[in-house]
Amino acid sequence: MKEKQAKKREKEPFFERHLGPILITPSTLVIFGILFIPIFYALYMSLNRISFRGADTIYKFAGIKNFVNLFTIDPWFKSSFVTTILFVVLTVATEIVIGVAASLVLNKKFHGRGFVRGLMILPWAMPTVVNAVMWKWIFNAEYGAANGLLMKLGIIKTGIAWLGTPKMAFLCVFLANVWKETPYVILLAIAALSTIPGDLYEAASIDGAGGWKAFWRITLPMIKPVLLILLITKTIWAFQTFDLVAIMTSGGPQNATNLLSYYIHFVAFKQTDFGSAAAMSYVLSMICFALSFVYIKLFMNNDDGAEKKTKKAQRRKLATAHED
Amino acid sequence: MASIQLEHVTKQYPGGVTAVDDFNLSIEDREFIILVGPSGCGKSTVLRMIAGLEEITSGEIFIGDRLVNEVAPKDRDIAMVFQNYALYPHMTVYKNMAFSLKLRKTPKAEIDEKVRAAAKILDIEALLDRKPRALSGGQRQRVALGRAMVRNPSAFLLDEPLSNLDAKLRTSMRAEITKLHQQLGTTFVYVTHDQTEAMTMGDRIAVIKDGVIQQIDTPQNLYDHPANLFVGGFIGSPQMNLIDATVKKVADRFFATFGETDVLIPPQVMGADVAASYEGKSIVIGIRPEFISEGGPHSDCDTTIAGDIDLAESMGAEKFIYFVCEGYPCIAKVPGKSGIQTGDHVSLTIDCSKMHIFDKESGLAISH
Ligand SMILES: Nc1ncnc2c1ncn2[C@@H]1O[C@H](COP(=O)(O)OP(=O)(O)O)[C@@H](O)[C@H]1O
Ligand SMILES: [Mg+2]
Repeated sequence: MKEKQAKKREKEPFFERHLGPILITPSTLVIFGILFIPIFYALYMSLNRISFRGADTIYKFAGIKNFVNLFTIDPWFKSSFVTTILFVVLTVATEIVIGVAASLVLNKKFHGRGFVRGLMILPWAMPTVVNAVMWKWIFNAEYGAANGLLMKLGIIKTGIAWLGTPKMAFLCVFLANVWKETPYVILLAIAALSTIPGDLYEAASIDGAGGWKAFWRITLPMIKPVLLILLITKTIWAFQTFDLVAIMTSGGPQNATNLLSYYIHFVAFKQTDFGSAAAMSYVLSMICFALSFVYIKLFMNNDDGAEKKTKKAQRRKLATAHED
Repeated sequence: MASIQLEHVTKQYPGGVTAVDDFNLSIEDREFIILVGPSGCGKSTVLRMIAGLEEITSGEIFIGDRLVNEVAPKDRDIAMVFQNYALYPHMTVYKNMAFSLKLRKTPKAEIDEKVRAAAKILDIEALLDRKPRALSGGQRQRVALGRAMVRNPSAFLLDEPLSNLDAKLRTSMRAEITKLHQQLGTTFVYVTHDQTEAMTMGDRIAVIKDGVIQQIDTPQNLYDHPANLFVGGFIGSPQMNLIDATVKKVADRFFATFGETDVLIPPQVMGADVAASYEGKSIVIGIRPEFISEGGPHSDCDTTIAGDIDLAESMGAEKFIYFVCEGYPCIAKVPGKSGIQTGDHVSLTIDCSKMHIFDKESGLAISH
């Protein structure tokens, strides 16, 4: 008996010491499985020429040739890349500007505010596919609501081929994306705004900052952390826009809406060139990664500097042991 | 440097709450005036109307000679210190303090000079690079004061600035703010619900109840001559003992009678004519705890009562004695060396010459 107890006592510290690792192992394995394996597998794919013979997949090492080809041989990659950048910059900027502006209005007290706020969320709560199909119908050249409305109002005489001309199609996809994604900005911005204490604005109004000055000097800096998160997530999501294009335009006309994520899908599953598709995926991921990095640096810099100085000052103060 | 005048100022909030009612207050230049009253009596509303943060329903406010009813807060030349400090969390202490000057396009060198001068006075020079969240409550309070100081305003408005601090810090900050007032030579309007703060800090105190000024006077006069029951009960700690009584005449002398007890009303407290007119009527007598002492009568003005001691609370230098007299809970303040214990049955003596008498119906002091 005594021996057993002693053994038990010996065992306990072992479990206690390793309890943390033991507990996180399952989730680590899952994350590894769904994140790291695909990442490395995609890297492997991007470095190979991949072809199929019957049921067999044949990998032939190609070095960075897939990457080089993207910028040299590939007929559409460059234009798709430019289109994507344009799309991302335009949508993210528009969504954040409109979203913040709308949140300022919705943060004011007025009758029916709750109802309007609820209504605002609807587009975002809707599945993207539904959204895409809806806009496809709205912009339909023959039966679409857009043409119908404009003709009824007498603004146009004959229907516009919204999705049939490159510039218009791009604009339509852009609009559909803004319509769906802006509510998310509003939602987060309202949440951020409601955390700003009212007396800050009162103090500011005495200090001489009302209206726009208060917005630039109080509101904006106070919601900056949330805007940063929005900027990062929105950018990454915009880079990944797929369903809208797949359903509304299939990347056309004349590649005007051929966003990278759609093009990757096209190269992989229509042209069955998995090596090139994997290479493109890597380019896309690296861009997203680099962007988040830049944003974080950009936004956190001010804060960090001050914090470090503060810590130093605190240490100095502690050293001289002179606290109140 | 400016006087502040409130003339017939009334504030009605939407929804019908009259927070401030026909307020008349004349604050002199360089005066330290305190607005004191229980929570919800409208003190903050008055202050916010002076600051311009709240619209005035009717009446007029002057700062200096200028009618400011329609003047924006930033142009009133006042500074406000908020209860929760309202420091800008995203700015360093330095920037918090420099903010108003920067908005006024003050030259950088001048801003720097003023901020550092204020920081020196408040002893927060070492904190200038910190953000507010890295400060203790007391430090934040100083920064809030500093932010008000740099602009050199003609009046400081302070809304319960010490209520978020712990007791010890509150006591020391009290002294510091008083000192600051002397140093700056500016008008201070200070709002508090704490009568101790009011008594210790102000040149004059305005006691407010339900949006109406009850009395404006120096701390000593408020204490010695409360104008009504409310002021008598509010000013002073522990509270004045208030007992309902009836005026009775026995021989040539008047007594306040309650239960079995008769308390002499000496002529210096209430003249014979007045007393006669109150004969048989209800009054309230007010006795400050320090005028109830241990033992038998010390002079012929005294009335002795008996009491069972519910609680004897020793404060060191003094002792608070809680007892019930004819059904009225009372407090006496006796020297700390007194041997009275909880549960004792003792005789206590009221110094009737120090008694206050109020009309029961109107609550007004009858005579002093
Ligand atoms: N914005 C407001 N809307 C409606 N009623 C208010 C508002 N602010 C204060 N009140 C009411 O006005 C009265 C006075 O409030 P306040 O001046 O804040 O009191 P104090 O500062 O003395 O505690 C209270 O009854 C309060 O409920
Ligand atoms: Mg208040």
